[in-house]
Amino acid sequence: MASQRMWQEHELKDQYDVVIIGGGVHGLATAYYLTQLGVRNIAVLEAKYIGFGGSGRNTAIVRSNYRTPEGIAFYDLSVKLYEQLAADLDFNVMFSQHGHLTLAHNEKGVTGLTERANTNQLMGVNSRIIFPEEIQQIVPDLNVFGHSRFPIQAALYHPPGGIIRHDAVVWAFARGVDRGGGHVHQKTEVTGIEVQNGQVEAVVTNRGRIKTKTVLNATAGYAGIISRMVGLEIPIETHPLQAAVTEPLKPFLNSVIVSSTLHVYVSQTDRGELVLGAEVDDHSSYSLRGTLSFLEGAATHLLELFPHLASVKILRQWAGLCDMTPDYSPIMGGTPDVKGFLMTVGWGTYGFKAGPASGYLMAELIASGKTPPKLEPFALTRFYEDRLVGEKAAASVSH
Amino acid sequence: MSPQQFDPTKPPLATIEFEFDGHRVRAESGQSVAGALHAAGEHIVSRSFKYHRPRGLLCMSGRCPNCICTVDGTPNVRICTQAAKPGMVVKSQNAWPSVKFDLLRIFDKLHRFMPVGFYYKSMYKPRWMWPVWEKFIRRIAGLGTINREHGAEGVYDKQNLFTDVAVIGGGLAGLNAALAAAEGGVTVTLIDEQPELGGHLRHDPELAAELTRSVSEGERSTTPTNPSQLERSPSLTLRVSESVGDLIRRVTEHPAITVITSAGVFGCYEGNYLGIQQGQRMIRLRAAQVIVATGCWERPLVFENNDLPGVMLASGVQRLLHLDHCQFPGEAVVVTDNAQGYRVAKQLKAAGTRITAIVDVRDNPPDSADGIPTFRGHTIISANGSRHVSGAVIAPLAGHPRQSLSCRWIVQAVGFTPANSLLYQNGCKLRYDESVDQAVVTQYAPAMYSAGAVNGVRDPHAAALDGQRAGATAASEVSGTALAAGRDASQSHISPAASAVPLSQSAPSCHYVSPSGAKKKFVCLCEDVTEKDICDAIDEGYSNIETLKRYSTVSMGPCQGKMCQSASIAICARHNGQSIVETGVTTARPPEQPLPMGVLAGRTVHFSLVRRTPMHAWHEKAGAKMGDAGNWKRPQVYSSVTQEYEAVRQRAGVIDVTTHGKIELRGADVVKFLEFIYPNRFANLKVGRVRYGVICDDAGILLDDGTIARLREDRFFLTTTTGNADAIDSWFRWWLAGRPDWDVRMTNVSGSYAAMNLAGPRSREVLKKLTDADLSSDAMPYLAASECTIVGVSAIVLRIGFVGELGYEIHVPSQFGLHVWESILEAGREFSIAPFGLEAQRVLRLEKKHLLPGIDTDALSNPLEADMPWIVKLDKEDFIGKESLARAQARGDRNKLVGFRLSESVIPDLASLVLCDGKLGGRITSCGYSPAAGGTVGLAWVPANLSRNGQTIQIQVNGRLIPAVVQDEPFYDPAGMKLKS
Repeated sequence: MASQRMWQEHELKDQYDVVIIGGGVHGLATAYYLTQLGVRNIAVLEAKYIGFGGSGRNTAIVRSNYRTPEGIAFYDLSVKLYEQLAADLDFNVMFSQHGHLTLAHNEKGVTGLTERANTNQLMGVNSRIIFPEEIQQIVPDLNVFGHSRFPIQAALYHPPGGIIRHDAVVWAFARGVDRGGGHVHQKTEVTGIEVQNGQVEAVVTNRGRIKTKTVLNATAGYAGIISRMVGLEIPIETHPLQAAVTEPLKPFLNSVIVSSTLHVYVSQTDRGELVLGAEVDDHSSYSLRGTLSFLEGAATHLLELFPHLASVKILRQWAGLCDMTPDYSPIMGGTPDVKGFLMTVGWGTYGFKAGPASGYLMAELIASGKTPPKLEPFALTRFYEDRLVGEKAAASVSH
Repeated sequence: MSPQQFDPTKPPLATIEFEFDGHRVRAESGQSVAGALHAAGEHIVSRSFKYHRPRGLLCMSGRCPNCICTVDGTPNVRICTQAAKPGMVVKSQNAWPSVKFDLLRIFDKLHRFMPVGFYYKSMYKPRWMWPVWEKFIRRIAGLGTINREHGAEGVYDKQNLFTDVAVIGGGLAGLNAALAAAEGGVTVTLIDEQPELGGHLRHDPELAAELTRSVSEGERSTTPTNPSQLERSPSLTLRVSESVGDLIRRVTEHPAITVITSAGVFGCYEGNYLGIQQGQRMIRLRAAQVIVATGCWERPLVFENNDLPGVMLASGVQRLLHLDHCQFPGEAVVVTDNAQGYRVAKQLKAAGTRITAIVDVRDNPPDSADGIPTFRGHTIISANGSRHVSGAVIAPLAGHPRQSLSCRWIVQAVGFTPANSLLYQNGCKLRYDESVDQAVVTQYAPAMYSAGAVNGVRDPHAAALDGQRAGATAASEVSGTALAAGRDASQSHISPAASAVPLSQSAPSCHYVSPSGAKKKFVCLCEDVTEKDICDAIDEGYSNIETLKRYSTVSMGPCQGKMCQSASIAICARHNGQSIVETGVTTARPPEQPLPMGVLAGRTVHFSLVRRTPMHAWHEKAGAKMGDAGNWKRPQVYSSVTQEYEAVRQRAGVIDVTTHGKIELRGADVVKFLEFIYPNRFANLKVGRVRYGVICDDAGILLDDGTIARLREDRFFLTTTTGNADAIDSWFRWWLAGRPDWDVRMTNVSGSYAAMNLAGPRSREVLKKLTDADLSSDAMPYLAASECTIVGVSAIVLRIGFVGELGYEIHVPSQFGLHVWESILEAGREFSIAPFGLEAQRVLRLEKKHLLPGIDTDALSNPLEADMPWIVKLDKEDFIGKESLARAQARGDRNKLVGFRLSESVIPDLASLVLCDGKLGGRITSCGYSPAAGGTVGLAWVPANLSRNGQTIQIQVNGRLIPAVVQDEPFYDPAGMKLKS
């Protein structure tokens, strides 16, 4: 197989029609879909290397069993785009749709999941409540009937959910941008954005100034800092989210298992590693250092679900940054205050699974100038108008 | 360290037997499993991850992936650091049918169809093929198999320790650091992963003997050191030249030094918080200062077939020779660039191995070969053999001419990778230093130092001095007499370049990657990544070291990069045409060594906290069905919900509400604080009165509800719901923390009081029998709060009515909870009192339309829409959520929590949807049969335009829409007469 370069390195031009800040899945997907719409004079600027941020640190879960009709419709589009992504981008992104189970260990949990199942079904998403016998059939290794402090009472079963090879998605989108005529600039850090008379005029980087009328803020962890460059305050608080991976084991777990009560979730990759994580850290921080208490908590809770994994070893732990909004939903679209400044930010712990939909719809917005209906609920103005999209219940540990 | 430890002629203590892949293997007691297999001639111990190539012992130090087996049901155990035990069952992994003959070796021949990242370029067309392929991949992926019967065996344990100075690594540098620090008057904890102290001297007797000899000859250190360093540190008494045994004795006998062996430090977390694994125990050690003296490990050379069984690291050979008393029959070729190679050649020779040649990559090595044929300026090109080494092809560095040597063993002593993961983890800055061919610290993280080989200081004398320097500096920092030395590493440790003759002085750079050849040259043994794979990946554009890692998977396996880091960086640098410094390193992340989850979990698995009220045993004896409410256990129902309901409505009932959160607030500014926390008013709450309140967040979202009683002018008693007790505690503390000048003293008394709610038309008569207090309506009306004595126990009594009847919530000190509970039931017997559980309470409160926060509300509910507009006093001065609630009021309700009566007698599941024209309108949050209403009633969120009394809503039940009628009034006693009676 002759190796072909995935992407080229280009000189930074002094003018682009669209400048996208952030070389993660959102920025690259937007750029890719823009090239598909014929907008090709575009640049993606990445301060480190593509996939350095949340796109390389998330736990690669894809699902659409959200709680609000707005959220469900949006993530459903994302799942559908993911399903055809390997073919679209001619790259195996290894989307394994082996199902996603959210466990409930108490009555309140069952009620919350029932509501999601009902709403999902109303919106045409494959999702239903299942009970211990069926849970055990789907996940034979799960401690359903053994001794447990909080026995499993039910689960929200979402067959189309699963995991994906997150790095591959990033690389494939980057190649798609490259082939479509766009530029991907790594190690290119934005230091300022010039605005004149309420209109974006240029982006300043460590490699030079770029004239442009359209800038997309597609960053995480630093979304607030980029927005402040145009004088815009956005309601975001950044929290670390931690994860860990074990040594490879012969695959025994096909589904993604999530338990909000136990603050843990786990899946097993095609390489055999178990990937586990928990909720975001409760304190706001920009630290990318993992903590011991996270590992202890995640291991304890995972062993409650899978007691026979006590001797399985953790290989690595890491942390990523999550930009949390008050309603646990993202902020997408423009702002009336600064023309030409758009954003797809506030992706909290659920950004990766939304990448293609966010890119697809943002590209449509940039290319046409009109906000697609699926984006409307997520506008920044919802915080001024008190029109929140409350996804906390569906997003806290499920990510 | 006792001398006999190094004596290879030591007679075996005893012989034991264990099982390897179904047959018996004999081992000396104390021998490692790997050593026993080596002695038994079992040289293939595993199969590689991708190509299923045979793999044999390599490092013998628990670093490389080669000896990973399943031991007694535990997958992925490194058998080189696992002592053999009688009856142990060891099984090889990732091979079928056996490790000796593995059919999947076919992948090795098919490698041209599986180049680096091949799986990204195949198997996805047509789309339905991927699930099929994936099924196949998931059958062959992974290493060990988990055993479902194998639970958390043995006792896992945790220990918390504190120390002034933690020294990690018990080699020469670490031993000296520990002593120097202890002599500086501080407490020291020395941690080493091996069972005994001594570091690499444990398996290098010649080096240890040299050091000892230099003592007996009275030799003083002549090693070039940094003299100015020593002048500035008078405490660094030179004692480098004593025998290693004496040094270890002085360390272990020192009263200020605690030695922890067989313990690996896996993480250095924020604030010098060390995670340490010692068998099944996790030690959490908080240290004021940390000295990293972790040394280094040998790195393999990258040449063709370099993964064949029989290719070993020199230190691995030494460990087998001296710790496991093994031999290496036949001939060996030693390839080296340092003195270590010569020492191991001599040691092998002494043990009976014929050394075919020493292949030295240097042109003019200073070392004496003792008559062994030596090829200078040469390197190894290839290993011959298919299942075990049968020969070696060597050549000058230029690659030609080649010659073959016959041998059974290829021993590599080609330099070291520093064990610097903990330094990186803690934020030290390191930079590649060509003079020692490794990264060295340029800037320390606060309260951290390093010493010895991890600094590139490999000469034993210099390492000892480096350790003393670090120990003395750390001690002086603890005791506040810090030396002038700054945090700049060049000022505070012995320069590696100045410390000794750099081992690779005359070796060409990157010599640990031999010239290219056609066969596979493995860089990453865990993942079967070859040199060619790395170059191909870079050519495809994955040129950044981190991207390269993720695409090629180099360094992502069980060895965590320990074997492949040096070579992969060197190859990446070379192929990109960059320097090593420009190439950088991948991020070091904890744990430093793979860490079992059982160790992390400790004893807590299945032992999560269970909280029981003082009346718990009584409830159980009474046959109550107990349920979980957070960590609490609460009675759900005793015998019959209907009977319990009737008792409360018609006579008297009592429910255990101990689980509610209880907070006492005292001080002159409590009223100000309450006015700020709650949307309703408290300035006008009189002493002896209690008021209902809800708590909102800044967005006006309803967080919790409870009661606030004013017992004295400046003393308030608050209750919260069970589920939010901790959150409200934190909430109060959060807001108080920013108001240090407010006189508000807060005590969480949740655990101090038992509580019970006595309710029902006869409850006054019941309580009257137990207290002298005046319970009349005049003296103690609805919403009165009083302190009185009940059956001799001082109590707080609140006249509130959650269930809609005359009722008293009684709080008494926990230790008297059962006494008061039993007394109430005894006193109530003549009125046929009954205890009631949560299920009955739910119906009772639902009939009153009393909401439960978190059940009837969610993260978007504000009190205006939750049908409590009266509680929000927007004319108050600032309170939490005021601005948001003002906006919400201005824009009007969008959704509303309403009561409804269902038109049919079915009881829908909670969270059944309210539909409007097929679209989502809302959901029901509470529902049940109401005896008072004679039908199904409930609470539901509906669009505001459907929330008026008498409007009809449609509820989806089992796919069918059932109409229900909105009702403003409570379903029971709408005027509240009973409550106030």
